[in-house]
Amino acid sequence: MRRVSSFSLVRPILMAGLFLVSHFGVAATNYVISNDDAPFPFRTGVSFYAIGSNGLLAAPQQVFSGGNGISGGFFGANRLVALNGGGQQCVYASEAGSGNMVGIDVNTLALGGTAQGSPTDAGTSNGIGLAINTHYLYASFTDSGTIGTFQVQPGCGLTFVADIAVAGLGTGIINGMALHGNMLVATYTDGSIESFDTSHGTPVSHGDKQYSTATFSTMDATYPNSIDITKDGHYAIFGNTATSVVVEVSDISSGKLTKTTVYQSSASISSSNIRLSPDETLLYVVNSQGDSVSAIFFDKRTGTLSGGCTSNRLRGQSADWSYLGGLAFVSQTGNGAGVYVAEFGGSSGIALVNLTSSGHKCSLQEVPQSPFADPNAGLLSIGTFPPRSF
Amino acid sequence: MRSLSMWLLAILVCGFSFPKAAAQCPARPVPGTVVSDPFSLSSQKGVLSAQLVVARSVDSFGYTHYCYKYDNSGQTIEAPTFRLNPGDQLALNVLNRIVDGGAMKMGMPPESGPVCGDGGDMTVDSTNVHFHGLNVPPICHQDDVIHTLIQPGSPGFKYDVQIPLNEPPGLYWYHPHVHGFAEFQVNGGAAGALIVEGMEKYRPEVTGLTERVFVIRQQYLVPWIPGPYQLTVNYQTTSLLGPKPIVQMKPGEKQFWRVANATNQDFLLLQVPVNGVPQPLEVIALDGYPLVKTRNQKVILVPPAGRAEFIVQGPPAGGSATFETSAYSTGPTGNPDIQQTLATVQLTGNGGVSAPAKPPAPGAAGNLKFANLAAQPVTAQRKIFFSEEFGGTNGPIQFYVTVEGQKQKVFESNEKPVIVTKVGAVEDWVVENRALETHAFHIHQIHFRVMEVDGKPVTDDDLRDTIEIPFWDGKGPFHSAKLRMDFRDPTTAGTFVFHCHILLHEDLGMMHKVEVDP
Repeated sequence: MRRVSSFSLVRPILMAGLFLVSHFGVAATNYVISNDDAPFPFRTGVSFYAIGSNGLLAAPQQVFSGGNGISGGFFGANRLVALNGGGQQCVYASEAGSGNMVGIDVNTLALGGTAQGSPTDAGTSNGIGLAINTHYLYASFTDSGTIGTFQVQPGCGLTFVADIAVAGLGTGIINGMALHGNMLVATYTDGSIESFDTSHGTPVSHGDKQYSTATFSTMDATYPNSIDITKDGHYAIFGNTATSVVVEVSDISSGKLTKTTVYQSSASISSSNIRLSPDETLLYVVNSQGDSVSAIFFDKRTGTLSGGCTSNRLRGQSADWSYLGGLAFVSQTGNGAGVYVAEFGGSSGIALVNLTSSGHKCSLQEVPQSPFADPNAGLLSIGTFPPRSF
Repeated sequence: MRSLSMWLLAILVCGFSFPKAAAQCPARPVPGTVVSDPFSLSSQKGVLSAQLVVARSVDSFGYTHYCYKYDNSGQTIEAPTFRLNPGDQLALNVLNRIVDGGAMKMGMPPESGPVCGDGGDMTVDSTNVHFHGLNVPPICHQDDVIHTLIQPGSPGFKYDVQIPLNEPPGLYWYHPHVHGFAEFQVNGGAAGALIVEGMEKYRPEVTGLTERVFVIRQQYLVPWIPGPYQLTVNYQTTSLLGPKPIVQMKPGEKQFWRVANATNQDFLLLQVPVNGVPQPLEVIALDGYPLVKTRNQKVILVPPAGRAEFIVQGPPAGGSATFETSAYSTGPTGNPDIQQTLATVQLTGNGGVSAPAKPPAPGAAGNLKFANLAAQPVTAQRKIFFSEEFGGTNGPIQFYVTVEGQKQKVFESNEKPVIVTKVGAVEDWVVENRALETHAFHIHQIHFRVMEVDGKPVTDDDLRDTIEIPFWDGKGPFHSAKLRMDFRDPTTAGTFVFHCHILLHEDLGMMHKVEVDP
């Protein structure tokens, strides 16, 4: 038996490590992250919650940025994104009050860079949504109706590239965004949806702007709000604002949006924030006005939704918080094992809802220690670091 | 809407940045003083002629007031009460002297049809008058709100309204109704009472009683941002912590109270606790229509724009009483309507400044409009529903009232009527609420008979022009009311509107047109 030198064993590990560092970054401490979104005169920034045993959250470490938030706005606009690639580990947050996009280095928890869009870009009423890849950060400005393109710079910096004006088919304002490869998908508040080509940085419309099917076909007032895209880029999934749970799916395998298929359930009220589990077997839905969380089984081969479960109303509604906001996974593998959910209100917090599932059955249960206090009143957008892999 | 932080921010950012207007509106009564009835103007020989000047000012607390000013021999009166008999003519000249409506200079194009008044864009400085509840024609110079615009500085616009001979006696009110901007002008200000005399002929219980008129208004610092608000009683604020308005009564005296809910959006739950215990209130009329039979209620729900007329008995000597509105839940996404003491009752030897009992109106009681409506054959049935789109913490962003089967859309001034019917029709409309907050359904030009609530027959035979449709709580069937609409009278011919009378909702498009063909 030929003896294998220790170096020959170590080298592949080091090589693999270097590869991981260069492509995905060093695995930093696991955090739940939140955009403080605190309005003037309060200080705003990003809060980092270290994740302890059983997913419990410690008191956050806040990184202040010097700008101002607005403490509220659209549910579907994701104000916080994590970048774990291109040799960088960053969290980017929007600050709609001051119009800043800020980058924070996750390893040092230090402010990287700050950038603003054009002088007319504004999201002071309903926030600034974000989507990111390793090259560009896209910002949806909900007042000016623009998408700003920012180039990602070393050290978690940003430089503004350009903006484009966008609008729904009716009077819709840009709301949610999601990015997959070179395809950016957007929703508008009038029920329109549209996709863009980002292969050259600044988005260019695919010319596929259309009303979602549910906007007109259901009785309830409903329109797509937040978006997620499957790992293979086959389907775009829309979570709707509605008086029930309404999710729409569009086949985007052609590179353009197609007519959406509607999934509707009376399990709760509204489905403004959605997120596919890491293994894409479940779609988690935050019922922003039903005060609960749902999980719906998803078939990534066919893009169909079925069954699922809904939690009880989360604790503290009305007394401490008024709406549910964004979500993040307990685990970045498998079915996610449950979600953290942002609670917006006078006593904002982050709820922890665990999932148990067996076959095609599941249940969602808020843990006894939930919610975890958040120092700000306007919590809407949360995430994790490292983020989901797609 | 449930967000409190946004209004705080908005007030910080916007609330004190509006340009200050000169004090064009009269000073308001000092809090904690005796409430006087509004100044009354009564018809003389069948005619009531008056001129109102619409103006605007900002008070020292930052509240913007729009107002109706009447010049009474050199004394400026705010929002007088018009008193007319059935068959009388109201000849009203309205001057728009609004100066600097502030930052909201955005304009909307008017209806593309015939111009009534000055034409031009609808802006926060434009105005007109709606005679809420009056069953009069929806035509120019009478009660048209779709085409009529009175612009700042114009020579004046003349309303010439003939009160029908069979108009129900009761309390009506008038207010601006320019689409998109009604809330701004009604907010704590431009609204007044209009009384069609003769209640005693249909409800003799009020004969000889001292009559009081209370117009409840509501003012927000920033009208389109929910947050703390003040209610006023005849323009006197009902602050939560400060002194309360005072209503004077003799011990044990019965008075006839006529209360108009002229708030932007507050659902009033009226009650009069005596020594802390709510007393039975003898309800005489609702929405300007006498009840077939009086009934006692300890609480009277009056939706925004509704009216309640009832007999109140003061406490015995040594007792105490208050005039209250209780807290009312408008649903998970509605604004909180909080409990407030509207006034404290002060016992006096002579009933204070209460208006003396009036002589009866001329003429005998006859059949009123809409009499026996419940027995009329129905020519059409429709379902109409309220719904909202709610995509963020700033509240709903789209407000719809939709005819079942049609596309949900917000009101546009150039839209075609969503309902077309004809004179002679009697229709049942089921109005349903699919939203998470309570709405107040109102239709112009006619009263309706409430046939069912939540599918259960109503036997009270009440006729209303505004009714609450409670919120959906996310489970079970939607709340609804079946309303019988009476288009038999030829004076209903024309195009008019129905809408939610939460004025923000109306301004944002929760309104549509109905066309009644001759």
